Amino acid sequence: MVFSSVLFLFRFLPFFFIVYFLIPGRGKNVILFLGSLLFYAWGEPVYILLMLFSTLVDYVNGRLIGKFQGRSLAKVFLVLSVVINLFILCFFKYADFLIQTVNGLTGAGLPHLNLPLPIGISFYTFQTMSYTIDVYRGKAKMQRNILDFGVYVTMFPQLIAGPIVKYSDVERELHGRRVTIIGISHGTKRFVTGLAKKALLANMIGELWADISAMEFSGMSVLTSWIGVLAFAFQIYFDFSGYSDMAIGLGEIMGFHFPENFNYPYIASSVTDFWRRWHISLGSWFREYVYIPLGGNRKGLSRQLLNILAVWMLTGIWHGAGWNFLLWGLWFAFLLMMEKLFLGKVLSRLPGAIGMLYNALAVLLGWVLFALDTPAGIGGYLAAMFGFGGKLADSQGLYLLGEYFVLLVIAAVAATPLPGLLTKGLERAETGWGIALYRLGEKVIPALLLLLSIAVIVDGSFNPFLYFRF
Amino acid sequence: MGEKKNAFFTTAVIAAIILIFTAADLCRGDRLYSETENRLLAARPKASGETVFSGKFAEDYEAYVTDQFVSRDKWIGIKTRMDILLQKKEINGVYLAEDGYLIEQHLPEDYSEILAAKKTALLLELVREWDAAVMLVPTADNILTDKMPANAPCYDQAALLEQIAAQVGDRNYVDVYGSLKAHAQEDIYYRSDHHWTSLGAYYGYLAWAENRGETPYAYRTNAMTVVSEDFLGTLHSKTNLDRAGDTIRYFEGTEKRPVTVTYDFNRVTDTFYERSYLDTKNQYGFFLDDNHAFIQIDTSYRNGKTLFVIKDSYANSMVPLLTPHYERIYVVDLRYYNGRLSTLMKQMKPEGGMDVLVLYNCIHFLEEFEYM
Repeated sequence: MVFSSVLFLFRFLPFFFIVYFLIPGRGKNVILFLGSLLFYAWGEPVYILLMLFSTLVDYVNGRLIGKFQGRSLAKVFLVLSVVINLFILCFFKYADFLIQTVNGLTGAGLPHLNLPLPIGISFYTFQTMSYTIDVYRGKAKMQRNILDFGVYVTMFPQLIAGPIVKYSDVERELHGRRVTIIGISHGTKRFVTGLAKKALLANMIGELWADISAMEFSGMSVLTSWIGVLAFAFQIYFDFSGYSDMAIGLGEIMGFHFPENFNYPYIASSVTDFWRRWHISLGSWFREYVYIPLGGNRKGLSRQLLNILAVWMLTGIWHGAGWNFLLWGLWFAFLLMMEKLFLGKVLSRLPGAIGMLYNALAVLLGWVLFALDTPAGIGGYLAAMFGFGGKLADSQGLYLLGEYFVLLVIAAVAATPLPGLLTKGLERAETGWGIALYRLGEKVIPALLLLLSIAVIVDGSFNPFLYFRF
Repeated sequence: MGEKKNAFFTTAVIAAIILIFTAADLCRGDRLYSETENRLLAARPKASGETVFSGKFAEDYEAYVTDQFVSRDKWIGIKTRMDILLQKKEINGVYLAEDGYLIEQHLPEDYSEILAAKKTALLLELVREWDAAVMLVPTADNILTDKMPANAPCYDQAALLEQIAAQVGDRNYVDVYGSLKAHAQEDIYYRSDHHWTSLGAYYGYLAWAENRGETPYAYRTNAMTVVSEDFLGTLHSKTNLDRAGDTIRYFEGTEKRPVTVTYDFNRVTDTFYERSYLDTKNQYGFFLDDNHAFIQIDTSYRNGKTLFVIKDSYANSMVPLLTPHYERIYVVDLRYYNGRLSTLMKQMKPEGGMDVLVLYNCIHFLEEFEYM
C-alpha cells in the first residue's frame, strides 16, 4: 500500500488511527504491529513471511548477543545476523543481476530466478542490522520484548520508503511514548505537507519526465533534454522527501521521533554538502556501519579515498540492482574524491553561487545515470543535453516549457528554504497583520493542500511508486 | 493555551476531512460507467485464494476504490482547474485553444508512417476495384492552426493527405483540406466536440461536388435550422470545464423531398434527424441516429443512381447533403459492421453499377479503415 492512494487515506488511515487511539497503553503496540502487517501484506502477501523471518532472526540474534555480551560468542551471533541479512538482501535483490552479469561475461547461460523484489527489503534489513550491531557495540540494550522489536522492524510509516530509522533512534519510544496534541497536530501538518509534495509537485512534474523519457533521444533539442532532467530532479526530490515527511509525520502522531531525511539538497554548495542533505538516514547508516569501521579519514588520505569509493559504490547499488546505479555511485565517488583532494578548497574560495551551480550540474548529470538504465539511453540523453543531437531549442521544447513553466518555478522555490523562512518570519512578526496572516495560513493551508492532493490522487492519471527497485 | 487550541483546530480540520469523505465513500453506491470519462469504471473484484496471494486482488481492489471514490467527477474537475491555473494548455488529450475552442490532441508519435502506408494500400485497393472517391477530412488541430496553443505538437495531416492524393490521383481524390482551410475562420468545427459542424460538412460537400462534376444543390447556409444551443460534446466531457453550449444546425433542404431511412435492415423512418438525442448528452447522435453498421437511404430523386458510402461519424452530418444526387444511398460503418466489406458491396451493387465514397476524418481513417 502506498500513502498517496485512496485506499490508504480513506480506508487504512482512519480505521487504523481510530483503533490505535481507542486501545489503551501497551495495546497500542499490538495494534501498530498488526496494522503494519496488514499494510505490508496488502501489496506483498507472500513476502510478509520473509519480513517476519528477518524479524525473528534478528530478535534471537539480539538476545544471544546480549546474553554473551563481551564474550567471543557475541561476535559469532553478530556475524550470523549480518550474514543472514545480507544474504536475504542479496538473494532477493541482486541474484538476477549477478546471474546476468556472469552470463554476460562468460556466456554461461545460467537461468534467471525472476523473483519479484520484496518492497522495502533494503530498508528493513538495514534497520535490523543497525539493531544487532548497536547491541553488540553496547550502544543499544537488547530488546527482550518480541512485540516491541516487531514494531520496530515492521512499523508501517517508514517500512517501504524510509527514513532508515536506527534502533537507537527509537529504542525508548518503542516502550513508551508521550502523545500530546501539539505533537499530533505537528505530525498531521507534516504528513499533509509530505502528501502535497508527492501529489501536487512530484506527480504533476513527473508527468513531464515520463513524456520526455519516452521520446526519441536522437535529435532531441538541448532545451527539451534539460527540461526533462530538471523535471526528474524535482520529481524524485519531492517524491522521496514527501514520503519521508509523511513517514515522520505519521510517526509523530503516535509519539515517535524519526530522524530527518532531507535538508534542501539542491541548495548544497558542493557534492560533499549534497550528501549531508540528501537521504540523510542512508548516508549516516553507511557512515556509521561501513565508512567509519573501514577507518574513515583516520588512516591517511589514500585509505580515505578508497573508503569513499567503497561507500559510494555500495550507496549506488543500494538504489537498485543495475549497472547504471553503480555508475551513479561511482560518479559521486569521483566528485567526492576530487573535492577531498583539491576541489573543495577551490570551491570554498569562490562565491557560494558557483558551488551551488557546480553541485546542481553534478547532481543533474547524476540523475541521467540514475533515471535511465541502458547505456544507449544514457549516452543518447547526455548527447542531447550537450547539443550533439538536435537544435538548441525546438518547438517541442518551447511547448513543454510553456506547459510546465509555472510548475517548474513553483517547484524550484519549494526546493529552497524560502517557504519555511517566510512562515517562520510571519510567525515571529512583530506586526499585527504578519501574525494574523500566519494564523490564517496555519488554519487554511493544510486543509487546502489536503483537498488538492486528494483531487490529484483521485484523478490518478499519474501516480507512480518510485522505490520498487530500492 | 492558545497554541494548544490552534493545534487542536488543525488536527480536527484534517481529521474531519478524512473522516467525512471516508464515511461518504462508504455510503455511496457503485457506478458502472463514467459519462464524463467515457469509460467503464472498475468494479469490486472477487477475492479468491489465488488472486489474493498473487497480489492481483489488492491491485484490482485499489483500482476499484479509486474509480468509485465519492464525487470522483468533482475531484477530477478540481485537478483540471489546477492545471488551468498552472497555465497548462493541454488537459487529458484536449487543447484549450483560442476563442473557446477545445481541440482534440493527436500526437505525431501515435501515428506511424507504417500505419499510414498500410491504410493507404488498403484504400488504393478499394479505389482500383471500385473507382471510389476519397474524402479524408482533416481534424480541427490541422485546420484551426491559428487558434492552437503556441508550438503545440500536432500530427501533420496535410503531409499524410498529400501522399494519399498523389497515389489516389486527382480524379478520385477530393480536396477537403483545401476547402476547409479556405473557410477556417467560419464555424466549421464544434467548440466542444471533435466533429465538424453542418457548415463544415457543407464545405466538404462542395469539394465533393466539384470533384465529381456535380452541380451542388443550393443549400442556404444563411438560413440553417437551429435544433440545439446547449450541445456539450466529447471534448467537453474530457475536460469537464464550464462552457457555453455549441449550436447544432442542419439544412432543411436535405428533407425537401420525402426520404426513407432504413437502419440495420429493420428500423424504418422518414427522416435523417433524430430529435430524441437532443435531450441526451450525445446530441451529435441527432444526425443519422448516431452510429449504425448499415443504413439504406431511399430518396425521391428518381435518377437511378446509387452511392455506397464507407464512413465514420463525420459522415453522419454530410450524407444527408448528398440526397439530391442519388436515388439510393448505402452507408456502412466498419466499426459496427462485422461482415466482409467487399462481399457486402458486391451484394448491394445494382446492375447499372454504383458510385463509392470513402468518407472519414484522417484520424479515424488511420484507426478504423479496413478493406477486405
